[in-house]
Amino acid sequence: MVHQYINNGYHIVLDVNSGSVHVVDEMVYELIAFVNEQENPGNIEKKVISLAVDRFKDKYDERDIQEALEEIQELTKEGMLFTEDVYEPYLKDFKKRPTVVKALCLHIAHDCNLACQYCFAEEGEYHGRRALMSFEVGKKALDFLIANSGSRRNLEVDFFGGEPLMNFDVVKQLVAYGREQEKIHDKNFRFTLTTNGVLLNDDILEFANKEMANIVLSIDGRKEINDKMRPFRNGKGSYDLIVPKFKKVAESRNQTNYYVRGTFTRNNLDFASDVLHLADLGFEQISVEPVVAEEGDDYALRMEDVPKLCEEYDKLAKEMVRRKKDGKCFNFFHFMIDLSGGPCVAKRISGCGSGTEYLAVTPWGDLYPCHQFVGKEEFLLGNVEDGIVKTDVVDEFKCCNVYAKEKCKNCFAKFYCSGGCAANSYNFHGSINDVYEVGCELQRKRVECAIMIQAAMADEEV
Amino acid sequence: MKHIKTLTTRNLKESMKKGGCGECQTSCQSACKTSCTVGNQSCENNK
Repeated sequence: MVHQYINNGYHIVLDVNSGSVHVVDEMVYELIAFVNEQENPGNIEKKVISLAVDRFKDKYDERDIQEALEEIQELTKEGMLFTEDVYEPYLKDFKKRPTVVKALCLHIAHDCNLACQYCFAEEGEYHGRRALMSFEVGKKALDFLIANSGSRRNLEVDFFGGEPLMNFDVVKQLVAYGREQEKIHDKNFRFTLTTNGVLLNDDILEFANKEMANIVLSIDGRKEINDKMRPFRNGKGSYDLIVPKFKKVAESRNQTNYYVRGTFTRNNLDFASDVLHLADLGFEQISVEPVVAEEGDDYALRMEDVPKLCEEYDKLAKEMVRRKKDGKCFNFFHFMIDLSGGPCVAKRISGCGSGTEYLAVTPWGDLYPCHQFVGKEEFLLGNVEDGIVKTDVVDEFKCCNVYAKEKCKNCFAKFYCSGGCAANSYNFHGSINDVYEVGCELQRKRVECAIMIQAAMADEEV
Repeated sequence: MKHIKTLTTRNLKESMKKGGCGECQTSCQSACKTSCTVGNQSCENNK
């Protein structure tokens, strides 16, 4: 499968199955599309050459056409163009494969000091009651993780909420417990913290900088946008309180290993301005992402919003290229793409890991496939005491991958998103094996922009 | 090549041979928490 597109003046050809990316001139761009229409694109026969010459001779020099076709053929021979998809057999017996748990999302507090309008956790309560995780439950969760992690060494634990700083003493105790256990079991805990920043202070920051591999700081962007969706319970906005604290976090971590992380909704379809606002505040690690909402919510993104959102991604990508050239670069999480050192194909086809490698733990120790499923009783998998009880649900998640999803089969972005978010699919279609179309459109655009940025950077190096 | 510039990429087919060690980060654990993003992650074996 070959995907071609033009972005910011670059003619880009992505050979989906090998992962190769080619930046080509206009002639080759047209010729590749022409060859792709032929019965056997992998082999350019004399007949195809003369057909191509006939078709393009008024536009391009005949010798150039032939030369370009030779280059196309060379790439094909090298396995970098028109490559076949040979990965599906890898998924045979996928259900039988042993999986280990390597990451937990600990819902350390089902309570929050903000009342964000779009909160999927319903102001921290997750369709349930307010509760804080006890040290005992957290300890059992870490024991469960170690016991179920097999030979995997790196174990990830995210302190999530609600707002985890509302239960910070337990966070500290669990980190101490984890540090002690990792030595005993030859593991390496990577702790992360996701916080709205309201309770952040110097002591917490000092602790976090010592122990947390990553900190995710929630803020939506411009003051009016942030304060509309992220107010305190009394309606007052949170922007003025959190911005100075977040700046301090970013600086104290040398502008690495953190993200300011926002959500965009129908209220700010011009979200590129929010990303740039965060960059202008001095943040260098930024993630601003589409809201996950129910179809009826007034702030939910709609299919009709997609063209505008795609324009915003384009605008942002161009601006990032401009800033990179000026040496004022920042990272935008959704445009990060590691072309040379990215994940292996096994990772790319096997889904996000929810329900298998990644589980969420509620304050009272219940296990769910991920934080997005918490509170949906049909997805309750077990608890930290007894382990996984509902193995049939785990099996369903094991089989949730790009080849199980009909709509993914012909999508060029399938090896970048790995089949998309199961929770999104479930929210919109009642099944984890479907896709959320708005999300897919945006994902495809992001992959295109991310690759364009790489092309532009490679252009600079020449 | 005169007409084509190929960016350095990891060959996915090759990665099948010794891939799948599972030491890499879980997709949702990085920053997103709402959108499955895999292509931007790094391979622990390549470090």
